[in-house]
Amino acid sequence: MSTIAPKFRLSYFLKSITDNAFWAILLLTLIGLPFVQIILFYLELPVIGNRLLDPYLALTILADPSRQIPLIKSLMQTEFFKIAAFPGFGFAALLAAGTIFVERKMLAKLQLRVGPFYCGKIEGILQLMSDGIKLLSKEIIIPAKADKPIFWAAPVLFVGTAAAFVSLIPAARGGWVVADADVGLLAVFAIIGFFPVITVLSAWSANSKFPFIGGIRALHQMVSFEIPLILSVLGVVILTGTLNLTEIVESQYTYWWIIFLPIGAIVFFIAMLAELERIPFDLPEAESEIVAGWLTEFSGMMYGLVQLGSYLKLYAFAGLFVVLFLGGWSGPNIWPPFPQEIIDKGIEMGPITVRLPGLPLLDQQMLNDVLWFVVKTVGVIFFILLPRGVFPRIRIDLLLHIGWYKLIGLSFVNIFIALALVYAGVLGPEGIL
Amino acid sequence: MADAVFLGLAVITIGSAIAALEVRSLIYGSIALMGTLGGIAGFFLLLDSPFVAMFQIAVYIGSIAVLILFTVMLVRRQLIFIKIEDKRRRYAGIGLMLSLMMGLGAIILSSGIKTVTTDEPPVDFRAIGADFLTYYWPALILMGFILAASVIGALTLARREDLTNDQHNA
Repeated sequence: MSTIAPKFRLSYFLKSITDNAFWAILLLTLIGLPFVQIILFYLELPVIGNRLLDPYLALTILADPSRQIPLIKSLMQTEFFKIAAFPGFGFAALLAAGTIFVERKMLAKLQLRVGPFYCGKIEGILQLMSDGIKLLSKEIIIPAKADKPIFWAAPVLFVGTAAAFVSLIPAARGGWVVADADVGLLAVFAIIGFFPVITVLSAWSANSKFPFIGGIRALHQMVSFEIPLILSVLGVVILTGTLNLTEIVESQYTYWWIIFLPIGAIVFFIAMLAELERIPFDLPEAESEIVAGWLTEFSGMMYGLVQLGSYLKLYAFAGLFVVLFLGGWSGPNIWPPFPQEIIDKGIEMGPITVRLPGLPLLDQQMLNDVLWFVVKTVGVIFFILLPRGVFPRIRIDLLLHIGWYKLIGLSFVNIFIALALVYAGVLGPEGIL
Repeated sequence: MADAVFLGLAVITIGSAIAALEVRSLIYGSIALMGTLGGIAGFFLLLDSPFVAMFQIAVYIGSIAVLILFTVMLVRRQLIFIKIEDKRRRYAGIGLMLSLMMGLGAIILSSGIKTVTTDEPPVDFRAIGADFLTYYWPALILMGFILAASVIGALTLARREDLTNDQHNA
């Protein structure tokens, strides 16, 4: 028996090896192979000596993609794929993760700092991963006199509500949305109404003064800025005559509503910043006054969940702005078409010709839509991040003054502009444009 | 399927309503009240009127329940509630509720609602809106005036003369 590893047993050793092999094979077949296959269609693979010099050849023979593609296609039509991967959680979480990194790096550049620098070789690109591992491995500390059930439930509910918000945002034409509700815009506002409840409950349950002050501030801010948020959107609803977000996007193929309703877009953007608790409206987590506001007592992955939820919310709000005012996925067709000879003749790799029925996997229109949607959303996210490097935090009475007096007044002006456009016969169902 | 959903919603609504009254902690009571209001929103969804359901969630859970929660958090319970509860009052309350429920149920069941069968689609909210703007426009205008008057009244009541307006001009 070894003295270095006294509990060593051969059976445990073999079990760990087979476990590792199982997970490696599972991940390779579920993620690695499909990814490689999608990427390879757009790459010019070198042919050396009448034969593709690529390990893909071996993998192709091994895994027979001609049987896999119809399987993947049918999988992509399922509800589960929509919820978990594409217009739903996975896509939004990916964009949110990118947002966190870009925010830190861009803020550093604005303030002449370096920012994340040491994780990974290039410009700290692995910082996010290390942060995630750190949060996962940290201990979760619950305050002694906290109300435990609510304190545990609050981060999960926050992420769940943010994910419900994400599920209402359409990403491309042809039903690429998780929940295509007829009253989608109203559902958005119903879901936004849950955020102050969760915030104030988690703030109360921590039984600590800084979270409570932050929670009260968050409640004031969110409840008062919901009103201009809803009113500023009414102009779009008047012009389109529908509450369905997909139909609102389809009504903007010729003109974006930001051209006719710039005041509404500006009011919506400012109210959006306040709802997201971002600088200059980040009073609920003002770190120089009240430690971290309502997030003070969260530690470890609970804090990570709240951060994930708030960035999912940021993506969803940016997507909603794009859908309402920037024409959603509409844009010129710039995505390259799928190579026709692959559809006709299959892929010739030396002696072997692989004919793949069911190609292309995604049609050109959908990829183009997603490209434009992502480009616009990333642009809006950039403009949400930008004030953080520019503006100081404003006082709570000024914040409420802006919300209750100026923004509500401006959103009524916006409604009257929309009504004037409809009654003058410029836009609307019988308009000239 | 619809029956199972109806039963589940009924259990959630009534259960959380009882919990809202009986739970000792006021915070948990207001959370249970949210469950009740959400269950009612579920009934509206079941009745094919998502428009009303969304407004139920947005207004009742998003605003009114938050207001109740906020009030409960800011006051101390001992100061506003003096318990005058004994067993006789309790059983009298339960008996009153049961008799009221049975009476209402008997009235509804004997009103011939069980013989009504219809396959008509649910009324679209656009049709309701169009009716409001055409046939029922005086009612709409009147409601608008009442709401505006109550908002102005609330602002007048909340106005404080002793505060200077300087801080808003800063």
